[in-house]
Amino acid sequence: MTSLLAYDFAWGPVLDRWDLFLLGAWLDVWVTGLSFLLACAIGFGVAVLRISGIRWLQGAAFAYVQILRGVPLLVFLYWVYFGIAIVIGVNFSPIQAGIVALTLTGSAYTAEIFRGGLQAIDRGQAEASRSLGLSRVGTYRHVLLPQTFRIVVPPLGNTFIGLLKGATLLSIIAVHDMVRVANDLNINFFTPFEAFTAVALILVALVAVFSAAVSFVERMLRLP
Amino acid sequence: MILAYTFRWELVPESAGVLAHGLKVTLQLSALSFVLSLALGLVVALCRLAPSRPVRAAAYVYTQIFRALSLYVYVLFLYFGIAAVFGIDLGTFAAGVVALTLLNSAYMAEIYRAAIGSVEHGQREAALALGLGHTRTFSSVIGPQAVRVAVPGLVNQLVDIIKDSSIVAVIGVLDLMGTTIQLVNTKRAPFELYTVTALTYIALILLVSAAAALLERRLARHLASGGTGPGPLERMRSFRFRGEAPA
Repeated sequence: MTSLLAYDFAWGPVLDRWDLFLLGAWLDVWVTGLSFLLACAIGFGVAVLRISGIRWLQGAAFAYVQILRGVPLLVFLYWVYFGIAIVIGVNFSPIQAGIVALTLTGSAYTAEIFRGGLQAIDRGQAEASRSLGLSRVGTYRHVLLPQTFRIVVPPLGNTFIGLLKGATLLSIIAVHDMVRVANDLNINFFTPFEAFTAVALILVALVAVFSAAVSFVERMLRLP
Repeated sequence: MILAYTFRWELVPESAGVLAHGLKVTLQLSALSFVLSLALGLVVALCRLAPSRPVRAAAYVYTQIFRALSLYVYVLFLYFGIAAVFGIDLGTFAAGVVALTLLNSAYMAEIYRAAIGSVEHGQREAALALGLGHTRTFSSVIGPQAVRVAVPGLVNQLVDIIKDSSIVAVIGVLDLMGTTIQLVNTKRAPFELYTVTALTYIALILLVSAAAALLERRLARHLASGGTGPGPLERMRSFRFRGEAPA
């Protein structure tokens, strides 16, 4: 097909390297997954502090959330990778810096989600289980957490997807993810349209798959 | 702990002028994208509620795709990909505005749609029964009520726009982030400069969030009075839309 465009489409370089794109995408996925798990752990801790009833701990947890939610991920990434590294004299690998930035940013969002989930449960539940003789930890483990879990799954799914989108930024500090693969391809073959279309399609597909997975878990957890 | 690093905070005041200029670009970029995506988002939302099936489907695909893309990937696609195919040089600032606008209009569309959905069905029926046309029903009855509900969510979207706007620094826009990267290259003080930039973004975002909270309280004041069942705000909140993105 002769086109009016001055651009010659060449899908060959992209299609020949589909395996590199998939490897890059896999890197994005596992980095996101690991950061997400860490963010959930930290976020849960922060959420418990926020409703702990101890004034200064609550204040600290609140400040943590407000501050970390206000920093753009790119700024945070540079701050960790270039700034913190030079101050404490540690050389983070790009992937480590990426995981730290994604984890801490994500933890501010998960903290708010867990707090909302914990607060949504009727106070009577905690009071009843305490008066039945369950310990504080037991109350959380057997009564509050199972109920919270059902509430937090959909928003946590959104956070995961947000982190996945954030993980594409890691290519800026030379992590070899799928965007980096596309960038290299563009430099070597000058096929910007094909290379970045491929990345966009993979990202849309990944988000669709994870959204579907979240909906599935949501349905499984729904009360009959 | 003894650090081997000597802080050079004195670099910050002497860079303040350059950073302030970058901040101005960030504000322009965000404000322009915010206004444009407010308008485009409304169009997309109306398309999603349109009677014609293909229009609805197209608007649905639009929101799904743009909410799935990260701004970074989209900026690269737009600035390098589309520009090469059509042989147009958008310029970095315009490319940033277009990318921010398109992506955020998809989120805005969902906020508008949820807000319109929160207006009670009877209102529409009553307006139509009173002889108002479809356009008039929307502009005089549904619209004003929906706007009240949508405003806090829309303002909160500005928070995401400001944060996301930092990403256009990678294609060379000299916004707050872009000027900071340049300064770091010459002054070699990454910790001090990125800290100041991070604090500036935090201050900006806390300001916008506070404004959003204030607006929400003001707009909800008349809704707070009694009545049965959830008010429009609660109905809107219970309407789940996928929006939170820690980017």
